[in-house]
Amino acid sequence: MVPTILLDVGLMAMLVVVAFAIVRLKSLFAIVMLQGVYSLVSAAWFVSLDAVDVAFTEAAVGAGVSTVLMLAAMLLADRESRPVPISRQIGPLIIVMVAGFAMFAAIGDMPAFGDPHSPANQYVGMNYIDQTAEEIHIPNVVTAVLASYRGYDTFGEAVVIFAAGLGVLLLLGLNGNAGKWRAQPNGIRISSASAPAARKRPMPEDAPKPPSKPKSTPKRKSSPKTTRKSTGGKS
Amino acid sequence: MGMLEFFPEWLQYHGAALAVVLPLLMGAICAILPSERLAWITTLIVVSICTVTAFGLLLVTFGGESVIYKMGGWDPPKGISYVIDGLNTPVIFLISAMALLTTLYGLPSVVAEVEPKKRAPFYGAFLIGVAGLLGMVVTGDAFNVFVFLEVSSISTYVLVAMGASRDRRALAAAYRYLILGSIGATFFVIGLGFLYMETGTLNMADIGRKLQELEGGSRVAMVAFGFITVGLGLKLAMFPLHMWLPGAYAHAPSFVTVFLASTATKAALYLMLRFSFTVFDVSFDYVLTVVTYLFTGLGCAAMVLGSLQAIFQTDARRTLAYSSVAQVGYMLLGVGMATSLGLTAGYVHLLNHAVIKGALFFALGAFWYRYGITRTEDFAGLGKMMPWTMGAFTLGGLSLIGVPLTAGFISKLQLAEAALQRGWGWAVFVIMATSILAIIYIGRLILTAYFQAPPEIDGEVVKRNEAPLMMLIPMWILVALSITIGVNSDFVVQAGQMAAEVLGGIS
Amino acid sequence: MTPHVILRVVSKLLIPLIAMFAFYVQFHGDYGPGGGFQAGVILAAAVILYALIFGLDEAKKAIPPSWVRIGMTLGVLLYGGTGVVTWLLGSEFLSYGVLTPDHPSHGQHYGILAVELGVLLAVASVMLAIFYAFGSRQPELSDEDW
Repeated sequence: MVPTILLDVGLMAMLVVVAFAIVRLKSLFAIVMLQGVYSLVSAAWFVSLDAVDVAFTEAAVGAGVSTVLMLAAMLLADRESRPVPISRQIGPLIIVMVAGFAMFAAIGDMPAFGDPHSPANQYVGMNYIDQTAEEIHIPNVVTAVLASYRGYDTFGEAVVIFAAGLGVLLLLGLNGNAGKWRAQPNGIRISSASAPAARKRPMPEDAPKPPSKPKSTPKRKSSPKTTRKSTGGKS
Repeated sequence: MGMLEFFPEWLQYHGAALAVVLPLLMGAICAILPSERLAWITTLIVVSICTVTAFGLLLVTFGGESVIYKMGGWDPPKGISYVIDGLNTPVIFLISAMALLTTLYGLPSVVAEVEPKKRAPFYGAFLIGVAGLLGMVVTGDAFNVFVFLEVSSISTYVLVAMGASRDRRALAAAYRYLILGSIGATFFVIGLGFLYMETGTLNMADIGRKLQELEGGSRVAMVAFGFITVGLGLKLAMFPLHMWLPGAYAHAPSFVTVFLASTATKAALYLMLRFSFTVFDVSFDYVLTVVTYLFTGLGCAAMVLGSLQAIFQTDARRTLAYSSVAQVGYMLLGVGMATSLGLTAGYVHLLNHAVIKGALFFALGAFWYRYGITRTEDFAGLGKMMPWTMGAFTLGGLSLIGVPLTAGFISKLQLAEAALQRGWGWAVFVIMATSILAIIYIGRLILTAYFQAPPEIDGEVVKRNEAPLMMLIPMWILVALSITIGVNSDFVVQAGQMAAEVLGGIS
Repeated sequence: MTPHVILRVVSKLLIPLIAMFAFYVQFHGDYGPGGGFQAGVILAAAVILYALIFGLDEAKKAIPPSWVRIGMTLGVLLYGGTGVVTWLLGSEFLSYGVLTPDHPSHGQHYGILAVELGVLLAVASVMLAIFYAFGSRQPELSDEDW
């Protein structure tokens, strides 16, 4: 028991050190790498807490792919982070401190680490362990909870990931050719100051046609634009 | 309720899941559809089905029943369950009906504001956002709330960022929303972690039972409540946590702004009610303290400061966005009273405000669609240039102020009654004062539109150019609804009372 | 990008192994740690490694962006579709037991296989989509750039 606690404390200390380094450093490359380190160390810590599934995910997603993606994103942006003025750091610091103190305040009432009688280890969690073998017939309880008992959550998570991918497609395009198209009012532009693409108002082509038929709108609208937008085809 | 006979037995039970799963799956399909028209039709069909289903569920709960749907066939504490009761069906119906109206509106609006090849995925993201909001509201499982909160949030960030083809500042606004929204979600999930530590279960009804047994629980439960309140507070734009809202509303495409303004904060407020009154309970001291002092205090601050900020905006969409912050304050004031009347009033205002703000943002979107107008000074002459749209805006604005015979009046009347019953005379004064502020910021726009001449371009007065019918119809449906509620508020108040009954509150 | 002979040779050896490992993780998820999320990420990592060594264009030839886009949707549909099938069989959404009414636990097993496959597809495709989107935005990097 004692050696694993020492291991836990050691890994958590490393996490704190890495976290401080991430906050203090300016080179974004180093920060991305340290984030990978952070994930790897937390994966190791999860193993020591016997949460191998979580550790595996953390290692694969946190230390693996997200590091690559962060690097790719960093290359599009900057290599160095600009320093934040101290006045803008005070607010976040206060929030973090308050949240931290709130959590510390609760420590006294928390069940002891690994307490077999704590609610989390007694109630639903125990049901899963007791009944998985009979109801689902697979040895890995985590998979049973993930994919069947709480399969709907996992469905939601799959959609979250899908939505993130869809968002990247919408904003960047798979071939990196998005973002040049400009929205235009379907009439005469009166206000021009707030519009970035301020140019002379286009022809008052469709003047007196109050409730214009919506069916014809799209074609009329998109045609003047096609010249402006970059290469067609799907992204 | 004879109408219920038209709804098949299957839908009454499975409808809860159908309303969420259908838009999720069709959203995924929409993302790869080759044609924008096809995507629009798909979206329209899906949200229509959702609306019909939601209406059926509404009838079921009006009949006094509640339904528990067991996802995956597992019994509640073990599996995830969907709960249909008097508290959430009005919000479910609100979200799906607003999605339907915005989709209609989207036919012209999206064409003007979104790049052609992105329109199909755009509708996909919209459907996923609708499903996320519905999922948040319909679920009876605390962690499932988090999952669907993320589903709706991520698609919303993207939808807001799509405003970039109109104004590049949309990207910054979406980024700000992303950061703050993620912080909110993190706080929420930390709270859930603490709650699980205290009770060992994730089912909301079950957590509620366990906490009752523990008589409020230890400090762990208190901290959990704190984190959940802050997390949801960010999502519902509770006063000091509203920083993301004006930018997001001002720079998103009109289509998205309407939908966001009338549903997103409402779904989060619903969750706040659900957590504060049914998962936790006002019979616990710490919950009562937070509800009475924090919600009321922040609500009043939002009403006053939000309205003041609305007056000083130069962009009409920002004016309305700050007004939304203020209106959330009204709802929080009602909730803060924690009495049955107060909760009814807060809930009624939640529904009314969605209708009113929907109509107003519909009109603003139409102004941009025809003339590229968002700034308040450019409103000059709009009463002549777009009489029907401006008429809708005016009626919506009057409703926002709270003129008799409009929905806004009903809300304020209810709130004032509840405040007097609670013995909070000062609250009535605050409501009056902020209504005057609303007169200023709405009146300014209306006066400019009607009493200033239309601008001249190249020596010629700008001609009348009314918004297309597809924009006017959803706009006027909401305006008509707002006036109908003003004339006969029975069904809205009944929904509010039904919700208050589920919530309980202090007697 | 010709000079990296050692990298090319080593990665040529490694990439099939990584992909194999992804499928091991996928199908071993019922017995040990693993499952769709991890496997999807590992599978995507195999392609990303290929893109890093041989260039993004080569990777796009191997796995075209349009596949990735469809893969995202298919993944979600495979998961949701499993639920729809259980619906059609007259039970609740995602209650896999009805797939084999005689032995509900077998149905559970099949259902889990199907949804995990959906997760694999969705995760791998999305990771690749994000990588493609970022990668396509920048010109090829020269070594001095670092």
